[in-house]
Amino acid sequence: MSAPLKVAIADASFLMRRGMMSIFEQIEAGSVIELLEIDDPEQLKTILLNRNPDILIVNPSLLGLYSVQQFRKEAPQMKCVALLVSLADTHLMGVYDDVISMYDSAEQIRHKLTQLLAHCRRGTEKRYKHLSDREKDVLLCVIHGLTTKQIAERLCLSFHTVMTHRRNISAKLQIHTTAGLAIYAVANQLVTLSNHLPPPDKDGNGSLPLPPASLLF
Amino acid sequence: MYLRGKYRETDKMCDLICEHYRVLLVMSRFGIRLGFGDKTVGDVCRETGVDVRTFLAVVDVHIFPEDEQGMDFPEVSVEALIAYLHLSHDYFLHYRLPDIRAKLENVLRHERDTLAKAILLYFDEYATEVSRHMRYEEETVFPYVRALLGGKPLERYSIAVFEKKHDRIELRLKEFKQIIIRFYPSQSTNEINSVLFDIFTCEQDLAAHNSVENRLLVPAITKIERQKSMKHERTA
Repeated sequence: MSAPLKVAIADASFLMRRGMMSIFEQIEAGSVIELLEIDDPEQLKTILLNRNPDILIVNPSLLGLYSVQQFRKEAPQMKCVALLVSLADTHLMGVYDDVISMYDSAEQIRHKLTQLLAHCRRGTEKRYKHLSDREKDVLLCVIHGLTTKQIAERLCLSFHTVMTHRRNISAKLQIHTTAGLAIYAVANQLVTLSNHLPPPDKDGNGSLPLPPASLLF
Repeated sequence: MYLRGKYRETDKMCDLICEHYRVLLVMSRFGIRLGFGDKTVGDVCRETGVDVRTFLAVVDVHIFPEDEQGMDFPEVSVEALIAYLHLSHDYFLHYRLPDIRAKLENVLRHERDTLAKAILLYFDEYATEVSRHMRYEEETVFPYVRALLGGKPLERYSIAVFEKKHDRIELRLKEFKQIIIRFYPSQSTNEINSVLFDIFTCEQDLAAHNSVENRLLVPAITKIERQKSMKHERTA
């Protein structure tokens, strides 16, 4: 069983958001999807960073200073769908995976969404895979409480590469918390005395409100 | 009045519980004790001083947790609902979660020390999160609702703020459960299974608790807010 698909709906209009949500609820009567509501560009940024939605349905006018190309770079697996309330240049819509217009018929909208969900589900079935050696290195650093920046320095990788590794680890294992990754690592004996990392640098470990998983080892 | 194949106050309490054993949890949080013989739901509630409509509405949410359509719940007593939610918080924080933790600890005695620590650390982080979630409701939402009921002027808060930031606390428990199922290197399964059963029911119970807040509390408060603002407009 995989985690529920996460669908983010970004539109300034309450009516549009709730309308989309209720269509999703109708299609997915058993509700195995998690719906996230977004009404401003700042919130869009936070949700994309922290929640990793599988599908983003966005009104292009809500993007603010962000662009779809940027999202593609940071979250390549995420499906982007434009939600249009007016006519738009079809060339500009080319960057999206699909376009839903306010004037689409109920049947058209349902068809597009069902296709999209089916596509994402096929993607998730392939998710459970073993971690690569590099991903294991990153995983060990993460559970020892290192920040992405510290991991990049330690493993001589770029910040973005580490971010990508972290995302892939979470996607492969379907675990989204550091504490959860620590259980995985211990249960699978990835953590033994031989690959014990030195404690993180003094200047980077004071910000966690809870004891970091590094206290375990 | 209670359509959709739902229960009425003239039904026997015993029948309700035998058909839906999860109602036991609701009952005890309303302060209703066992030993009520063949009395009806209405009688038992009145004897214990519980608002019958609120009790039945909460029972409905627990029995039909996924049913989002037809939110035509009868009027609930907001006071009774708040009292119930408060007791529920107390139940989760001071009974349910500590109970699961104790059982977990007991099972983990046989495991490697690091694994035991990793699992308990996860659980403790989760319990802290739940406690933060519920404390926000106790310290911000409930006082707001009480002030609203008391007719005091509206502060700079509205139930819509709560509705927006109200996250589903049971989701992380789902992750925890899945991690244990997928990765726990278990020797004997009976003990860990028993903890898993508790986690499954606790997850359902927390989801239902959240539904009570979203489907009963939020609409009831929104209605009061609307009435107040209309009154305000008329007088202004």
